[in-house]
Amino acid sequence: MLTYIVRRLLSTVMVMAIVALFVFSLLYIAPGDPAAVIAGEQASPEDVEKIRTALGLDRPFVVRFTEWAWQIVRYQNLGTSMFTGLPVTELIVQRIEPTLSLAVLTLIVAIVIAVPMGIVAAWQAGGWIDRFVMAFAVAGFSVPVFVVGYLLSYFFALYLEWLPTQGYTPISRGLWPWLENLILPTIALGFVYIALIARITRATMLEVLSQDYVRTAKAKGVGQGSILFLHALKNAAVPIVTVIGIGVALLIGGAVVTESVFAIPGLGRLTIDAIVRRDYPVIQGIVLMFSFVYVIVNLCVDLAYTALDPRIRY
Amino acid sequence: MQESAATSQVPGAAAPLPDILPPVKVRRGLSGFIYRHPSMAIGGFLLLILIFIAVFAPLLGTGDPNAIAPARRNREPSAEFWFGTDPFGKDIYARVLYGARISLIIGFSVALLASIAGLAIGLVSGFIRWLDGIIMRIMDGLMSIPSILLAVALMALTRASVENVIIAITVAEIPRVSRLVRGVVLSLREQPYVDAAIAAGTRTPLIILRHILPNTIAPVTVQATYICASAMITEAILSFIGAGVPPTIAPSWGNIMADGRALWEVKPYIIFFPAVFLSLTVLAVNLLGDGLRDAVDPRMAKRL
Repeated sequence: MLTYIVRRLLSTVMVMAIVALFVFSLLYIAPGDPAAVIAGEQASPEDVEKIRTALGLDRPFVVRFTEWAWQIVRYQNLGTSMFTGLPVTELIVQRIEPTLSLAVLTLIVAIVIAVPMGIVAAWQAGGWIDRFVMAFAVAGFSVPVFVVGYLLSYFFALYLEWLPTQGYTPISRGLWPWLENLILPTIALGFVYIALIARITRATMLEVLSQDYVRTAKAKGVGQGSILFLHALKNAAVPIVTVIGIGVALLIGGAVVTESVFAIPGLGRLTIDAIVRRDYPVIQGIVLMFSFVYVIVNLCVDLAYTALDPRIRY
Repeated sequence: MQESAATSQVPGAAAPLPDILPPVKVRRGLSGFIYRHPSMAIGGFLLLILIFIAVFAPLLGTGDPNAIAPARRNREPSAEFWFGTDPFGKDIYARVLYGARISLIIGFSVALLASIAGLAIGLVSGFIRWLDGIIMRIMDGLMSIPSILLAVALMALTRASVENVIIAITVAEIPRVSRLVRGVVLSLREQPYVDAAIAAGTRTPLIILRHILPNTIAPVTVQATYICASAMITEAILSFIGAGVPPTIAPSWGNIMADGRALWEVKPYIIFFPAVFLSLTVLAVNLLGDGLRDAVDPRMAKRL
């Protein structure tokens, strides 16, 4: 078990190193010469060359990469924004609350809705609930997150005027104002995620429910609820948790767009601003940070397997 | 315990056969196809309509999709402008119809390119074992970057054009196909007929061509339709957030929606029409994919 954890951690470090190498290469091959930008329009070629040496931009790729990676690992230093001049880490920390709120809320809501949906669909396989869940799953994969966002916003915010159309209130100003702004974005972002989890839950539950021990449980008179939740769900947990982990990538990508639809000042806005301004260090920092989160989530999922299914031993 | 009573309780157990089976009605031709594969039929039909719209966009009563006319800004949908006009006075009906071209071109190109590249990488990885570790670690790395962010990062490097959007989305999609092909290759290598071919002295390139490649086509085709659908969504998202096809190059559903964003509370139709077209197109491709998957692997059809 311990060797497995160590091996898994090592491979995580490997994957992050590859991501870092890729992200660093982005800045390395990005168009535009930072030295020339800093030197200004009037600078002579010699001045530009001096600045280049001073910044260490003339050193080989490997040296620069190692130093850049060391700065991140040791000092959490992701570089400086080319546009605002502020450290990228500071920009990310400033904007992280709305995005984190949205993502975590969506994760919880999606799991709470999707897992029971999938279980009921598998239990009533072929029935109308099952048909509805399957139709919902196809729709969830087909209607893009920003379309869902605008539809919800049009109906619940503009037409019914139940909820605000846009904006974000920090949680420090109270739970309801915070939640009020997040309800619609959460549903919009959760749409595809719910479809994904409900579909895999249904598929695995169907397989588990056809097992012999489920029939035995039925035969000895175990109640329907305890067959579904105690006998079957436990054994269907591993694929469900896996897909929840993989789906976090959808969640991250979708959050950027959802924030744009609902004018939430989070990391999505930071990303879009950085794209417009071609602020490479910021784009780099955001990609690296999100990938790190994603890798860590999936590491936790892998380590959770043994807890979920004692048959899995490493 | 009575044996017969116990077995009749089991759900799903075969009922005793009647003495004479009723004649099985076999449907042939188009109606039979629709009956057997309803989702493929619906998806295919929708997609054909959209391809028709994309190809014949100039003949469908559209004017110039890029004509700017300040005098007729922000008109509501009417007999003259079916889908209304945008903040620049451009005809949204024309833009949405032309937008089908971008979406379909990008969806199909990405599906094709990602499948070819994924096939090549997956085959190499499945056959050249010492390369497998390196290739799969790189794929793991690429897969740990959420695909929209990866495409955004790549688009930030180059100037915005349709080709670059295709390349950026393709790179983000390749790892999934590679992993799929590698898995298929590894399981096929264990098959007795491959052992037999090796024993008979067949050389590796011929084994790949004759025995491995044909068996990867079905799963890759199914995967390609899903990639097509996801590429269309990614393109729309990229164009919507300003990292994809800019409106100056061509109208795309994503950038039409981006143009309508500032005004959407008062003029929701600017966003509504491209949104409906985009969703329908992706739905059509997804239905086609589900139908293909069911036809290719009937065991999966019962489960998913």
